[in-house]
Amino acid sequence: MQKFLTILRREYVSRVKTKGFILGTILIPLFMIAVSVLPAIMVLLKSEDQRRIAVIDRSGEIYEALYHSLDDSTETGIRKFNLRRQEAGVENLDAVKKSLADEIDKEMLDSYIYIPMDILRTSSAELYGRVVSNFQENERIEDAISRIVTETRIKRSGLDPEAVRQLTKNVRIVTFKVGPGGKEEEDRGYSFVMAYGLAMFLYMAMFIYGAIILRSVIEEKSSRVIESVISSVKPFHLMAGKIFGVGAVGLTQFLIWTIALGLISAYGVQVAVMLAPGAKGASLPSMPIAVLVSFVIYFLLGYFLYATLYAAVGAMVNSEQEAQQLQWPIVILIIIPIMFIMFIIQNPASQTSVILSMIPFFAPIIMLARIVVQMPPLWEILLSMFIMVATIFGAIWVVAKIYRVGVLMYGKRPNLPEIIKWIRYS
Amino acid sequence: MEALRLENVSKSFDKVQAVGDLSLTVPAGKVYGFLGPNGAGKTTTLRMLLQIILPDSGNVHILGQLNSREALDRVGYLPEERGGYRKMKVHEALEFFGELKGMKRKDCQQKIDYWLGRFEMAQARTKKMEELSKGNQQKIQFLTAVLHEPDLIVLDEPFMGLDPINALLLKEILLEQKNRGAAIIFSTHLMDEAEKLCDSICLINKGKKVLDGELKTIKQNFGKKNIILSYTGTADYLKDSSLVKQYNDYGNHVEISLNDGASYKALLQRALQEADISRFEMVEPSLNEIFISTVTQN
Repeated sequence: MQKFLTILRREYVSRVKTKGFILGTILIPLFMIAVSVLPAIMVLLKSEDQRRIAVIDRSGEIYEALYHSLDDSTETGIRKFNLRRQEAGVENLDAVKKSLADEIDKEMLDSYIYIPMDILRTSSAELYGRVVSNFQENERIEDAISRIVTETRIKRSGLDPEAVRQLTKNVRIVTFKVGPGGKEEEDRGYSFVMAYGLAMFLYMAMFIYGAIILRSVIEEKSSRVIESVISSVKPFHLMAGKIFGVGAVGLTQFLIWTIALGLISAYGVQVAVMLAPGAKGASLPSMPIAVLVSFVIYFLLGYFLYATLYAAVGAMVNSEQEAQQLQWPIVILIIIPIMFIMFIIQNPASQTSVILSMIPFFAPIIMLARIVVQMPPLWEILLSMFIMVATIFGAIWVVAKIYRVGVLMYGKRPNLPEIIKWIRYS
Repeated sequence: MEALRLENVSKSFDKVQAVGDLSLTVPAGKVYGFLGPNGAGKTTTLRMLLQIILPDSGNVHILGQLNSREALDRVGYLPEERGGYRKMKVHEALEFFGELKGMKRKDCQQKIDYWLGRFEMAQARTKKMEELSKGNQQKIQFLTAVLHEPDLIVLDEPFMGLDPINALLLKEILLEQKNRGAAIIFSTHLMDEAEKLCDSICLINKGKKVLDGELKTIKQNFGKKNIILSYTGTADYLKDSSLVKQYNDYGNHVEISLNDGASYKALLQRALQEADISRFEMVEPSLNEIFISTVTQN
């Protein structure tokens, strides 16, 4: 036990003290926030550049309204869409189009819109530009023209556009999540985001901490320090100390993140209001305690299972390059539940979901997603945990044997029959 | 009191026998040389006595205990494969190995300071292992074998890769450890070092023991005596095959193995007739000679 703790402490201290750990602890959440939030922010960011757009309005009914409608401004407060009317008749249409295209080519113009004479009937207009991949802007222009055309048609038919707008107003569905005890709670897609986010988090954690175990085993092997170590401590204790030590590193990171998250949910709104008064009344999603507890449990179970498997791979290979070739079965096991995650979130209680959440290699991600979206019966949760614990013990039993022989083997990578022999004879 | 006893220990890998039916005893407080050509099974045997690998059959008694892991805390081991935790600082690595042997952190630190001073490496204390030279890394690894003052020290090729000065220092330290009461078993194929250090030896070849016992007795029993002779004059007597079995003539210095049954007196008389003799010395066979003749006969 003393030796196990000595190994554990070395694994823990030698990792927590590194710059890598400190950076990782700060950067991983930033990275995850960046990945999930940045695209949204980028979209919201107003484009600095003014768009110089020429409009050929052959119908003669659109330009005025369009000019008023596209009144967005840039950050510097000038009109974003700098529209200019371009006259053209039937006879010189092609020539006008050609000269506008030339202007675009010489970057004197960004794009031009061609509105045909019969737009009210055909509902079709054309946009020409150097860059036509800015969906937001295209959509903005399309919406504006579309609304103008619709209103014109309504007016022509003698109806009141305002009355029509009232009559055709869309219905908005507000979702409420009914939790245990029938408690209702407005849900603005939080449970989807949370299930997906936690699943992705577990997915990344399995890879990151698995890779740490893998590297740790290979390092001892390739630096040949392993023999000195196992002349003092049983290989099993070495393996266990390593897995628990790295696990403790993971828990430390979680603790830091949980505290940070707690601070953010306690003070985040206040800070946000201070920075931007408009955020008043906004609320941050909070994680139910049951979800938090099952998250920690499934993280630990998943970690122990995959760390054990990665330890076996590490013991079988001589270098990280070789490990790349040998770890694919584990990688597939980690990826499969992520491939099912959308289905699980949409159908948390389906038979497929229940079966998948009982398979120990998938249970952490899938059962956690189920718990977030729709709390499954307690016996299902307990059964999946029990299956996982049993699998972990089985894996440790097998892997300890592979480990014991493997860490002393250099040179040729063992094939499957050899590995089976290790398991049977050691 | 014996520090180590192997009884009929065997180990095979994939039907190839690495060690067969090997028995040997290392007395406490003695230096024991474990000799043999490359691939004789030396490293396999040493690994078995540290329970790094387990024998297929036979018993290993360490410090009087049979197949005991606890006893290993009182054993120090320098593996043949050299290496350490590259990213760890020297003192951290040494503390780690000391604690694995059950030492208290504080005792560890005192010992580390002492030993680093002894090796003139005090300034390396807080350096990372990877910043040290190969030779210095090897010294640190050797320290992990003696730091906890073990009763049995097992060294696999300890002189490999050491310069003459460090080899001398190592010899000095091994003798100190012996005087402290520790038993030392080390493998080597450097017969010079073994000859100077060992009280007893065991010679194995192809996994089997071919010779063992006290070095003195082995040399006496080996029987053959050599003669070293310095002379000026002719040396026709060397051709007398009734006297001389083999010789190496360097012109005024010759090494002679006498023929079986020939007496050294007869040789001296013949030599005096032909030349002026300035030196006539009878020497014991060297361990090197015993090694080569035993292994090639075998």
